[in-house]
Amino acid sequence: MLFSSISFLFYFLPAIILLYYIVPFKLKNTVLLAFSLFFYAWGGVKYAGLMIIAIILGYIFGLLIEKFREKKIAKLFVGLAVACIISFMLYFKYMDFFIDNFNKVLGTEIPLLKIVLPIGISFYTFQIISYVVDVYRGEKAQKNPINLAAYVAMFPQLIAGPIVRYHDVALQLEHREHSFEMFSAGARRFVIGLAKKVLIANSMYDLSEIMYAAEEKTVLMYWIYAISVALYIYFDFSGYSDMAIGLGKVFGFHFLENFNYPFISKSATEFWRRWHMSLGSWFRDYLYIPLGGNRVSKGRHIINIFAVWLFTGFWHGASWNFILWGVFFGVLLLIEKFWLLKALNKSVVLSRFYILLAALLSFVVFQIPTLTEAFSYIGGMFGAGGIAFSSAETLYHLKSYAVLLVMALVGATPVVKTLASKFSESKKLGKIANVLEPIMIVVLFFVVTAFLVDSSSNPFLYFRF
Amino acid sequence: MNTKIKNIVNAVVFCVAVFGFALLCLVLPKPEFLDSERRPAAAFPTLSLESIMKDGLEYGDSFMKQFDDKYTPDNFPFRDFFRNLKSFVNTNVFNKSDKDGVYVVDGVAAEMQEQIREDQIAHAADRLTFIYEKYLKDKGIKPYMAIIPDKGYFLSEANGYLSMDYDEFIAEMLASVEFMEYINIKDSLEVGDFYASDTHWRQEQIVKIAEILVNGMGGKYDSKFEKKELDVDFYGVYAGRAPKPLDAETIYYLTNGNLENVKVIDWENGGKEISLYDMEKAHGKDAYDMFLSGELSKVTIENPNAKTDRELVVFRDSYGRSLLPLMVEDYAKITIIDIRYQIPQILLMGVNFENADVLFLYSTLILNNSSELK
Repeated sequence: MLFSSISFLFYFLPAIILLYYIVPFKLKNTVLLAFSLFFYAWGGVKYAGLMIIAIILGYIFGLLIEKFREKKIAKLFVGLAVACIISFMLYFKYMDFFIDNFNKVLGTEIPLLKIVLPIGISFYTFQIISYVVDVYRGEKAQKNPINLAAYVAMFPQLIAGPIVRYHDVALQLEHREHSFEMFSAGARRFVIGLAKKVLIANSMYDLSEIMYAAEEKTVLMYWIYAISVALYIYFDFSGYSDMAIGLGKVFGFHFLENFNYPFISKSATEFWRRWHMSLGSWFRDYLYIPLGGNRVSKGRHIINIFAVWLFTGFWHGASWNFILWGVFFGVLLLIEKFWLLKALNKSVVLSRFYILLAALLSFVVFQIPTLTEAFSYIGGMFGAGGIAFSSAETLYHLKSYAVLLVMALVGATPVVKTLASKFSESKKLGKIANVLEPIMIVVLFFVVTAFLVDSSSNPFLYFRF
Repeated sequence: MNTKIKNIVNAVVFCVAVFGFALLCLVLPKPEFLDSERRPAAAFPTLSLESIMKDGLEYGDSFMKQFDDKYTPDNFPFRDFFRNLKSFVNTNVFNKSDKDGVYVVDGVAAEMQEQIREDQIAHAADRLTFIYEKYLKDKGIKPYMAIIPDKGYFLSEANGYLSMDYDEFIAEMLASVEFMEYINIKDSLEVGDFYASDTHWRQEQIVKIAEILVNGMGGKYDSKFEKKELDVDFYGVYAGRAPKPLDAETIYYLTNGNLENVKVIDWENGGKEISLYDMEKAHGKDAYDMFLSGELSKVTIENPNAKTDRELVVFRDSYGRSLLPLMVEDYAKITIIDIRYQIPQILLMGVNFENADVLFLYSTLILNNSSELK
């Protein structure tokens, strides 16, 4: 089930809010779990069972690790738990990719298994791993299986993140407060995220599809494609994170932020501190640091960084374009670390230009499934093939989407947020802001509903994750 | 308003919106037909073990997907209001020029045809050439061709929308069927001759076209008609797709004493006699289907009171349905063939080409998207 759907907004959401607030606190996690399982099964009933098995394994291994925490065998349990949980993901997400490449390299004809990728497997796998590792590192194991299952399967972050680490919500699972302040902030954040997804991300997707489908491409078309794809992915992903964080607040949880205006970065290093922060910090804490981080030889350090980015790319999907996407950022980060960062610090304009260009090129590779076509698009951006710079068709669509493009570009910077903060912090204007806020929520909610009722496209970015 | 009250108002407003519409979704009656979109509303999907267990490539047919994508949007309360709100925001806030290629100028909707599709012209030419060589060439018949421009010809370029070069399109089409004699009707049409919300032309506006065609094929046109009004609100094909709401239109149809006495036979359904103007279909889902009872692949009109004993064989698309009744006084028999639904070898069985004019009457919409021609 998508947050951006009539079914979610007007069937699922009112039902869970009603029941959640009616039942006593001790049953709230049960309600959350039951609805989360229903939410997950709505996208494919069969694989809800797989998630439940993974949760049960995480629960049992958590208890074993805590019981034998001081003994060597605890490490074995952690290894076993991680291997079991990862094996699900390896099989369901990557097996056909491995078989396909094995066939290509060795000329064999092993038939593909044509396995359906369970939605959200990459997210809940990482959450269960975070749980068992956190328990190994000293966190209390969760004795109540309902609480653990509610943490792993919690619908706000189940299919598109952010990756919530057990350490961050362990206390909230057992003690959390509900207030108008939290509910209000959650509702506002949810509606803003919904609007980012439905109004901006979907429009940018439509624009990218128009550019992609055009028969006579121009240089300007390739650039519009790259910009619209980058904005689509950003607004889709950050919109989903806003919705997840907002829904978390509605149910009393504080999830960590996942995006912080990545396009204003001045380096790839900074970009990844602002983009999908929960994934970056997960890889840092559960892969990079266990590998030795930077407290190793220079050569090993380079290998560690490279490994993290290889896996970061591969995590996004079983395809070479994702691997290349991750490796591309890995190489950029290494270059920055050992050479470029000092040079970038000397010029804000140059550094911003550099990371925007790098991000645009990377998202072309991210979005286009075949590398040949992706490189052909990148070539097209620089005039390869002697194509025209522009055309009537290009300018027509640019004009048609100009307002949305400007809104998206401005929305990708902190300008609106800064203005809104100044507005509400002012003594006089703050009162006006308080009146305008509920009106804004209603207007946005109605407009989003209108776009969902008459929806022509509502792409789901995470089906490959 | 202080922050504490604002928080309460925010929460209440959000809950009222979510719970209010949830309640309306449950209690309001569901429409069977979406009038402004000219299509049935999606019914509640089949709920069975099989339909909820579908996944992967089959997920699109699952109960859940059908419920999400079809049932809930189609049956949402005040759907037309929300569709209009979306149009308003797209047009007035986002300043978008079109909606999936459909645009509106002064209340008239049209669709952009920005590219001449060479492969489609070639396919159309191939199909028409096949008919000519198999049925007409040996008989020494030189067929006529008339091409109807879509509304984009009148609206696109002048209003900044993408447009193909219609003159070039027609030249390319004619160059690939050189055996035809072209009758130019394009220059006699204007945008007001078409319905604002539909692709088709208005019958009451195209007597002049009937005259050009009859005279162009050697006849002498002098038919006169009485204009009658249909008592239905007509929403054309663009009503459900246009970026702005479109007004309901009135359909007029033309008749006279001769037209009321013609014999119309539907050969697709076993030689059943039908009406020139089907009043049941006029009150159905698409009122334009009143003309010759909609999309039938083979129909004949016999007129015992015709001015001549000549016959006319017409290969046509849907535009021909409203035009051909205006030509029946000039022909003893008109055979109307639509090769979009059946192969010509079957449709032309028993058709007499002796003493007949042959006309190919197609719109640019069909010729530029001709893959359905068989």
